[in-house]
Amino acid sequence: MASLPCDESVYLNMVHLSSFLLKTYHGGHIVIRLAMAGHKQSNRPFYRIVAAYNKRARDSKYIEQLGSYDPLPNIYNEKLVSINSDRIKYWIGCGAHPTKPVAKLLGLAGFFPLHPMTVTETERHRALAEEAAPEDGVKQQEL
Amino acid sequence: MVSSFDSGLVPELASSISEVIHLFLGSPDAHVKPQFMDAEVQDILTRITGLDLEKVFRPIKQELKPPTYKLMTDAQLKEVTQSAREQAQRLLKMPPVLPERKPINDVLSEDKILEGMDTAKYVFTDITFNIPHRERFIVIREPTGTLRKASWEERQDPHPVFKEENLKVVFVQDHHEDVLDLCQVQFELDSSEYIRVHAATYEDLEKMRKYDLLRSTRPIGGLVWYLKDLCVRPVAPNLFRLLYHPLNLALPAVPLKYPLIYAKRESQRAGYVELALQAYEQTSAESSV
Repeated sequence: MASLPCDESVYLNMVHLSSFLLKTYHGGHIVIRLAMAGHKQSNRPFYRIVAAYNKRARDSKYIEQLGSYDPLPNIYNEKLVSINSDRIKYWIGCGAHPTKPVAKLLGLAGFFPLHPMTVTETERHRALAEEAAPEDGVKQQEL
Repeated sequence: MVSSFDSGLVPELASSISEVIHLFLGSPDAHVKPQFMDAEVQDILTRITGLDLEKVFRPIKQELKPPTYKLMTDAQLKEVTQSAREQAQRLLKMPPVLPERKPINDVLSEDKILEGMDTAKYVFTDITFNIPHRERFIVIREPTGTLRKASWEERQDPHPVFKEENLKVVFVQDHHEDVLDLCQVQFELDSSEYIRVHAATYEDLEKMRKYDLLRSTRPIGGLVWYLKDLCVRPVAPNLFRLLYHPLNLALPAVPLKYPLIYAKRESQRAGYVELALQAYEQTSAESSV
């Protein structure tokens, strides 16, 4: 199995891993996205950063796990994200597309340049906060 | 009036400390202080460590097996003892004493536009397989938008044993060696925590004069190095008694002037050393009379 994935066309990536049998999809491509990690019963999300085929379901079989993301802060008020930069570089080099949330996370990490939507979201968030604060002030005055 | 010494006082320890002092004074031209990893220093320190086979191969906590008995000739016994000594030497390899590492406070970028984005910090860890832990990128994005590298403390949570109160309890129970082993597993060799815990252990050891606990074990090289660094501070009276104890006069003794010269040149506590010398001279005069 000597064919390099990068020689093929972008939308038909043959992954030459012999460890598991891969279904090739017609017109499918590889994405780097967040998959929810098996805590379906609990009210507690946890995401895996994963390289998977586009056509596959979100949480089903992926090609390789490239990291994790925990959206709930821990006791030190930190949101832990792990990134396997080596392998992410490999998959991007083979033509994988990161999704928007992954791109935002990588932008925050400094791996990618900052995503424009992060800035927009921050501004919107700040605007909301400002709207909420004067309202509280007004309510207190009324009382 | 020579006080009764416990068997823990090691004559070799004394003579080797004096040899280390020799090293310092022996080369007045050399402006470079002998470092821990120099061949001569290591040689002296290995000799201090000694090779007490009983202690090195003492039973560690593992599952109980009935002892095995082997029948051997004298020659075979010699071979086996020799290989046991070699293995003991390998086990006694000294953990190096390194200078303290510099704190990390690199700021990779300041993005004021991201301020107020989130109330929590994002900690990004690089999980690439083949990089050593020191070189790993662990990067924190603060809610203020600054992207900075994680400091040494943030990379690791310290073990509760290493707080001051707990250390005291542990020392009372004579667990110095275990503390040092834990410390080595837990911390990097040049972190400030490691150096602090080692310093505390050595201080306690010399206060209680429990040198024998560490005698044939790995950290004793570090202990002697530390004592030399301490410039023989409160240990001074004991140390000089060590050096000049009548038992030790059989060994090549250090003339009295060497510690004085050492005190003047290298030591930061010259006053203490001189006082200690005088105290020693008085006591030796009394004892001889």
